[in-house]
Amino acid sequence: MDAKRETPPAGRSRVLRLVVNGDLHEVLVTPRHTLLDVIRGELGLKGTKEGCTTGSCGVCTVHNDRGEAILSCLTPALEWDGESITTIEGLESGGRLAPIQQAFVEHHAVQCGYCTPGVIMSAQAILNATPEPAEADINDGLAGVICRCTGHIKVKEAVRNAWRYAGGAGPAPGGSHD
Amino acid sequence: MLLPDHEFLKPASLAEGLALLAAGPGARVLAGGTDVVFNMRGRLFTPPAVVSVRSLPELQGLHERPDGSLDIGAGCRLTDLLADPLLARHPALRTALRAVASRHVRNLATLGGNLCLDTRCWFTNQSEDWRAARGPCLKTGIDACHALHGSPVCVALNNADTPPALIALGATVTLASVRGERQVALRDFYRDDGIDHTVRQPDELLTRVIVPPTTDRVVFLKETARQGMDFAYGTIAARADGHGARAGRITLVLGSLTTAPVVLDAITTRLVADGLGDDAIDAACAGLRAALGPLTNLYSPAAYKRELARTLLRRALLALREM
Ligand SMILES: Cc1cc2nc3c(=O)[nH]c(=O)nc-3n(C[C@H](O)[C@H](O)[C@H](O)COP(=O)(O)OP(=O)(O)OC[C@H]3O[C@@H](n4cnc5c(N)ncnc54)[C@H](O)[C@@H]3O)c2cc1C
Ligand code: SF4
Ligand code: FES
Ligand code: FES
Repeated sequence: MDAKRETPPAGRSRVLRLVVNGDLHEVLVTPRHTLLDVIRGELGLKGTKEGCTTGSCGVCTVHNDRGEAILSCLTPALEWDGESITTIEGLESGGRLAPIQQAFVEHHAVQCGYCTPGVIMSAQAILNATPEPAEADINDGLAGVICRCTGHIKVKEAVRNAWRYAGGAGPAPGGSHD
Repeated sequence: MLLPDHEFLKPASLAEGLALLAAGPGARVLAGGTDVVFNMRGRLFTPPAVVSVRSLPELQGLHERPDGSLDIGAGCRLTDLLADPLLARHPALRTALRAVASRHVRNLATLGGNLCLDTRCWFTNQSEDWRAARGPCLKTGIDACHALHGSPVCVALNNADTPPALIALGATVTLASVRGERQVALRDFYRDDGIDHTVRQPDELLTRVIVPPTTDRVVFLKETARQGMDFAYGTIAARADGHGARAGRITLVLGSLTTAPVVLDAITTRLVADGLGDDAIDAACAGLRAALGPLTNLYSPAAYKRELARTLLRRALLALREM
């Protein structure tokens, strides 16, 4: 299912101008690419995962320019020309994990980790909309992502406690994003 | 898997968009894309061109008209509608909007896309490879339905959540094309054909949704297999004027059980005459079988659908009585 295994016809290629995590990228894409294909395949940002590609699992979650969670597998890349998005790689700042990332570490909200980028982006979107989320906000914001191994209990704990790590989140892991 | 090859067109104005739809037979309207992209990836359809309409200025905005009705752009995102204070006056519509999928989907999806959502069927919901094992159906090219053997028409379900609520509220939609504009009452918008499931012509765009003002009691209920994100097994929107058991006007609309939402006219006539007493509610539920006619086993057994419809009707009428 890797986008790169198929070679789309070059005839309909167009330059997509997209700001990702604050950096402007200009990439050649075709109408056959989704936003997810561009993030992973063209930009090499492999933090965002590909799961169902049908809108059901949420592991492809990224943020639009309002900090809202959207599914990058369900939207054509060319829809995003001139837009700005944030991926999981854009959450840390100055080499330090975002509070929500630190909360996931502290509350053991990760097992295999495959869903984790999508779940963290969904969690951050909840906090963007409601800095002090009620139970209903958390449930609503997590309904669109599925973790196959940890379940949502630890995740919800991390969301509720993210504020504790606002001052001193630990160092972000270095190296590649694979 | 990449999307099938197509031309991606993003008109800057409604006029330009309508011209593209008129010029390109088979062009597919794309709004939020949450259904179109899914279906294109599954090769349910492979249009030569896709016309993106979500950002068209003419499809944006929500405002109140002088007569108190709400004029909603078909391109409005479900998320933005839920956040709009003008919608607070229609709690049942808000319940229906919030019932659609997940936040992740509602942050992309539009009202026009929900109203025009393609009909759904387990057969066409499979991947291309799985479908190939069985061969095409009426919807994908030949003369056979794999969901209801021998059916001359596609019986796929209208599984969208907002149509029943908006029909109950008496909404009207505006359809625009290069030929001009027309208004259609939403209750007349849907057809009993899973392939050609609305009266919208291929060159027409749904531009606005008009919701008249009301002080009536309105409820919307949705039954799903799971909490969280799920398509409905069945929905009901119910509306009545008056209060308590007295009502001079009642509207009942069942969704997700059939190819088009069902407006229960005969049953409501009797309820208006008898009021919302326990006996009248029992009688209404008993009369559902005849009102609904034959149901398919698509997604859930027909017997379950009938039982569910009765339960939804009873709950909705009891809820109205309490309001
Ligand atoms: C995981 C998942 C769960 C879902 N759950 C639900 C659910 O619980 N309830 C529900 O109702 N839906 C659900 N959906 C379906 C869909 O996401 C919603 O119905 C959504 O509102 C569709 O809107 P859209 O703007 O994304 O439509 P699009 O995908 O852009 O379009 C849908 C259809 O409408 C047509 N169309 C769109 N806009 C216009 C217009 N202005 N004029 C004419 N034609 C137009 C398109 O050509 C297409 O046929 C779900 C989808 C997914 C992926
Ligand atoms: S109901 Fe029948 S014709 Fe319609 S999509 Fe399903 S299998 Fe095809
Ligand atoms: S990969 Fe996008 S929702 Fe599963
Ligand atoms: S941690 Fe394994 S799927 Fe969520």
